[in-house]
Amino acid sequence: MEAPKGVLSHLCTLEVRARSRNAQPAQRSRVKELRARVEALTAQRDLLRADLRTYKDIEKRRRRLDDACAGGEEEEGMDSEDAEKSQLLQLMARQTQLTALLHAHQVIGGYDVVSTRQGKGVCVTLATAFEGTYLDSFKLEMDLRPTLRISRHNVPPFISLSQHGDSQADARGFLDALSTRLNAFAGRKQQLKLVKELHKSVRVMESNLLCSILVLMLTQTTAKTAVLCTMDYLDQQRCLPTSVRFHSQDEELPDCPEWKNNCSLLMETPLHRALTTMKDMGHIV
Amino acid sequence: MRVYTGQDFFIKMENVNAKNVEEVKLLEDQIKHLQAEVANLQEQQKNHRDHTLYFSEQMQQALSHVRGQTPPGSAEEVLSCLKKEVEQLEEDLQRQSQMNGINLNSCTTHSLERSSTKLVQQMCISGHCSGLEFQIEFQISEVKEGDQSEKTIKSLNVVMDASDLANFSSFLSGVKENSDLLLFFRTLRTFSDRIDERRRTFQHFQAKYPTLVSLPEGHGSEVMTLHHPELPGCMLLVDWPVEVSKEGGVTPKVHLLTKIPDRAQQLFPSEALGGAGEAFHSLLRLLGPEAALECIIREVGLLQDS
Repeated sequence: MEAPKGVLSHLCTLEVRARSRNAQPAQRSRVKELRARVEALTAQRDLLRADLRTYKDIEKRRRRLDDACAGGEEEEGMDSEDAEKSQLLQLMARQTQLTALLHAHQVIGGYDVVSTRQGKGVCVTLATAFEGTYLDSFKLEMDLRPTLRISRHNVPPFISLSQHGDSQADARGFLDALSTRLNAFAGRKQQLKLVKELHKSVRVMESNLLCSILVLMLTQTTAKTAVLCTMDYLDQQRCLPTSVRFHSQDEELPDCPEWKNNCSLLMETPLHRALTTMKDMGHIV
Repeated sequence: MRVYTGQDFFIKMENVNAKNVEEVKLLEDQIKHLQAEVANLQEQQKNHRDHTLYFSEQMQQALSHVRGQTPPGSAEEVLSCLKKEVEQLEEDLQRQSQMNGINLNSCTTHSLERSSTKLVQQMCISGHCSGLEFQIEFQISEVKEGDQSEKTIKSLNVVMDASDLANFSSFLSGVKENSDLLLFFRTLRTFSDRIDERRRTFQHFQAKYPTLVSLPEGHGSEVMTLHHPELPGCMLLVDWPVEVSKEGGVTPKVHLLTKIPDRAQQLFPSEALGGAGEAFHSLLRLLGPEAALECIIREVGLLQDS
């Protein structure tokens, strides 16, 4: 009975092949899919590894550059098999150093000077801050030659731009003086803002754009008498008052030691903090 | 003579399946392993983000080249592009240093917190301002609220050379307390300008009248002494302190002090000596420091007006 067995076995083999061909595409394509995934992940991993090596290399070079700049000894160049690659990495390190230093100049309140009109003029930014909070910045465009002359700016009109003394004065001298005035103004303005935010029990009766005069209504704790506090900020370069006066229905109040103390406090401490101290000491509500 | 039964068929099918299943498992394991490696490496990359996040175009190109992703033979072009950028940055840094009057040696930044609305970084900057060296460290936060953003400084610490600190210490403690970074640099610059003026003036007179003038404390001396070589023990001292208030106000003052031995005073009582200090102040007001000092020196040297 060979013929039927041969046919049967052949049919069986064909059936196996047919079935497995049907079953395998699903499995084979899964295998293909997985193999492709492995390849992609391997490539990604290798790239990440290489990049990390590069970053570490650049940072090592950068630290050496920083040390050299600070006066450290120049060590021998880093060993590298590829001179061209080494040169490129060294340049990359230098670029990161320069970018960081330029950023630092900006952060510390530098003038961020930009040359204009082929070096005949400059555009500068005057940054202001008060006790750790950065405030508004102002821009100024100046001609340097033949003499110092301001062409454009966005400094408020009540801040004086005049150059004292020598009109040939160097740009930096002029900018330093202006920066002091702008920072003092920004400081006075910020103190007023903080008073309005932190001391709701204090009423601001009068103030002006330049923040050179300020009148506050304080309330004394015990008798609840109103005390009018007038502060003059006559020195444009300072953010503390040049004089402090109290007026009250209780005529003796301004002369008593407590309030004489408060007077000194207001002359020496930024306003919002002085008022907090006065509250803590129980002088005002 | 074998008869292929259904069982044989299934066994064959199972063999093929088993092989595939094994391979699939192997690959899945490999993938899990690679994913873990990649995650680890990505985590490590975060440590370098501060330096790589804002790469310029030229830097991106250079990085691609290092990776081997740029066309072969483009090395020279990539190098020259980056070189040009570096030169421009060097020029810019020169310009900023000159206008700001500050030379920075190094600046390192570490991110402490980074989210879509908040960035907190620790910065460490070192440099010098006309010979006055400093090292500062602080935390800078930038918080975005709508279209407004607020930048603040805190935990400011300043380290300066002790010898420069004499007049500076109360100002410095105020600056640290209030994290007044910008005030520190404005004041440092003004302070160093006044110190430079003093040094130039003193050195000018020492060069012009070497027998009469000496600077006991060297270049940065706050004091200039004047004496006639034939009158030992008799000295005029010019004291030129540069004071810095807690608010950052820089005030140079010039005083004249006399040092005359008691014996000489007994032998030659003179009102002139007693009032020398005040007289000098009047002279200062009239002539300014250089001319006033010139006058005094010539008197001490008993020099004829040329």
